[in-house]
Amino acid sequence: MLAVFKRELKAYFASPTGYIFMGFFLLICGIFFAFSNLLTASPDYISVLSSITFVFLIVVPVLTMRLMSEESRQKTDQLLLTSPLSVTGIVLGKYFAAVAVFLLTLLITCLYPVILSFFGTIAVWEIVGGYIGFFLLGAAFISIGLFISSLTDNQVIAAVVTFSALLFIWILDWVIQGLPTDRISGIVFACALVVGVAALVYFTTRNIFVSVAIAVIGFGIIAGVYFANEYFFDGFIVRTLEWFSLLKRYENFMMGILSLSPIVYYITFSAVFLFLTVRVIEKRRWS
Amino acid sequence: MIQVIDVTKRYGQHVAVDHINFTVEKGEILGFLGPNGAGKTTTMNIITGYISATEGTVKVDGFDILEEPEEVKKRIGYMPEFPPLYMDMTVQEYLDFVSDIKKIDRATKKRSMEKIMDLVKIGDVRKRLIKNLSKGYKQRVGLAQALIGTPPVLILDEPTVGLDPKQIIEIRSLIKELGKEHTIILSSHILPEVSAVCGRVIIINKGKIVASDTPENLSKRLSSSGRLSLRVAGPEKQVLKLVRELEGVKNAEVQGVKEPGTVDILVEAERDIDIRRPLFYALSRAEYPILYMRSVDLTLEEIFLQVTTEEREVS
Ligand SMILES: Nc1ncnc2c1ncn2[C@@H]1O[C@H](COP(=O)(O)OP(=O)(O)OP(=O)(O)O)[C@@H](O)[C@H]1O
Ligand SMILES: [Mg+2]
Repeated sequence: MLAVFKRELKAYFASPTGYIFMGFFLLICGIFFAFSNLLTASPDYISVLSSITFVFLIVVPVLTMRLMSEESRQKTDQLLLTSPLSVTGIVLGKYFAAVAVFLLTLLITCLYPVILSFFGTIAVWEIVGGYIGFFLLGAAFISIGLFISSLTDNQVIAAVVTFSALLFIWILDWVIQGLPTDRISGIVFACALVVGVAALVYFTTRNIFVSVAIAVIGFGIIAGVYFANEYFFDGFIVRTLEWFSLLKRYENFMMGILSLSPIVYYITFSAVFLFLTVRVIEKRRWS
Repeated sequence: MIQVIDVTKRYGQHVAVDHINFTVEKGEILGFLGPNGAGKTTTMNIITGYISATEGTVKVDGFDILEEPEEVKKRIGYMPEFPPLYMDMTVQEYLDFVSDIKKIDRATKKRSMEKIMDLVKIGDVRKRLIKNLSKGYKQRVGLAQALIGTPPVLILDEPTVGLDPKQIIEIRSLIKELGKEHTIILSSHILPEVSAVCGRVIIINKGKIVASDTPENLSKRLSSSGRLSLRVAGPEKQVLKLVRELEGVKNAEVQGVKEPGTVDILVEAERDIDIRRPLFYALSRAEYPILYMRSVDLTLEEIFLQVTTEEREVS
């Protein structure tokens, strides 16, 4: 894992990718810092962190598009997968390399609050909390990008799809507000989910019995839950989609609240996508 | 050392490898011969654990590729069809990285890297970016990568493709040399290449093994192709008539006229009949001197055709 991590980190700075990422990030951050702190003489640095989350939409695809797709295009995955390394080790090495570049950039931006502290008092712990939240949010986005990069051997496609996925997450809270919360639509949505999962299983395994069994069990669970607690499906769509609402958890950090549950949430989120990446790579070898 | 047990690989409906069985003993050099799409690369990918078989399994040194993949992978050096090179690294950085992922001791790493670079003669390009190397040198770096860690088993997928004739000879003798310490499987399209280096040849076609033998036995079986190409000084019609009437000649046709006053013909004999002497006497009696006569090598396609029809006749 360490070898992959080191190679990946070097590769970022052997190509323009690492510099583009850092440069663009620091530029945007600097502009916001100048406008909201320096020019207005405001010590409220945390508002900078909360207003630049949109940068992730642009820079995360740059950081992650190459990670797995280039390996399959150049056939270097043959080297990695026939070496004694585990797939998990490979995926983690790559993930941590991308996260390390992000972390390094973030550390440079720490200069801004340090500059502010020369002119007055700043809320140190709030800013530290804000940074932790910002870091975890970015790391979660990177895991999505890594996952998407493992699905294709074309960097450009990986970048575009990652951008779309992040955009979707970014507008999710806004979309959720417009969704129906009544019981019927909740049940319909749950049934659609079950059908979707069964179809996915069918297309990946071509095993009709397993997928039908999954569908039957799924519908059974829905019926069971309905009779046990019919209120469960009120607002079910919203509650499900909120699971993906990375930004909602981020607001806590911005208000200076540092609690455990959003931290656990972000780490779990990343872990799930890393696990899916490993599965995709393993799966391809079986097809 | 290597046991391939009933391995099958299906891509959807298409069967790329069809119930293949063979074993390779320690220290053996096995040649894997087959036309395009025969399933050579697929089989090698399965042995090295890059892809999984649909059915069957592979054992290396007693370890099963499905149950203990790490133990198997530790013992194999693989040079794939396209050398798996990182274009943004120098040769030295690359080999260093390969040593790391193969978990080579730091202490011995440097020395073994030097040795391997000497062996495949890439010492003088060690500081160059891989992307700027010529095809032949990339191929050598690909081979060097497989040798790192001196694994007991080497799997080489078309190791000489794209090299110039001098390099081909060098690489072949290198493989022979390596065969003293390693068990090797190498694939190729070219029968003479396989004969030159391998102790045993497996011919595979459409995913099935059609022959497995020593190169000597194989060429004995195949030399009975009985086709001769000859140039005769004489009028086309008469020469052809004479040759066709000869006993044991199955077919004869004109290939063209390269020298004025002569004719080139291709003669095909009946199976197992040597027609060279009767041909010589017949033509010399008619005072049509033979300017040259040589037997025509089989093309790969013909070898497969012959081997497959042979098998059918036997069964
Ligand atoms: N990923 C894949 N998906 C579908 N079919 C495949 C895949 N890989 C290989 N095949 C098919 O499997 C068969 C065997 O291919 P393979 O690459 O093993 O042949 P080969 O003997 O190495 O040929 P060559 O001499 O051209 O290298 C071919 O018919 C090929 O089209
Ligand atoms: Mg091949």
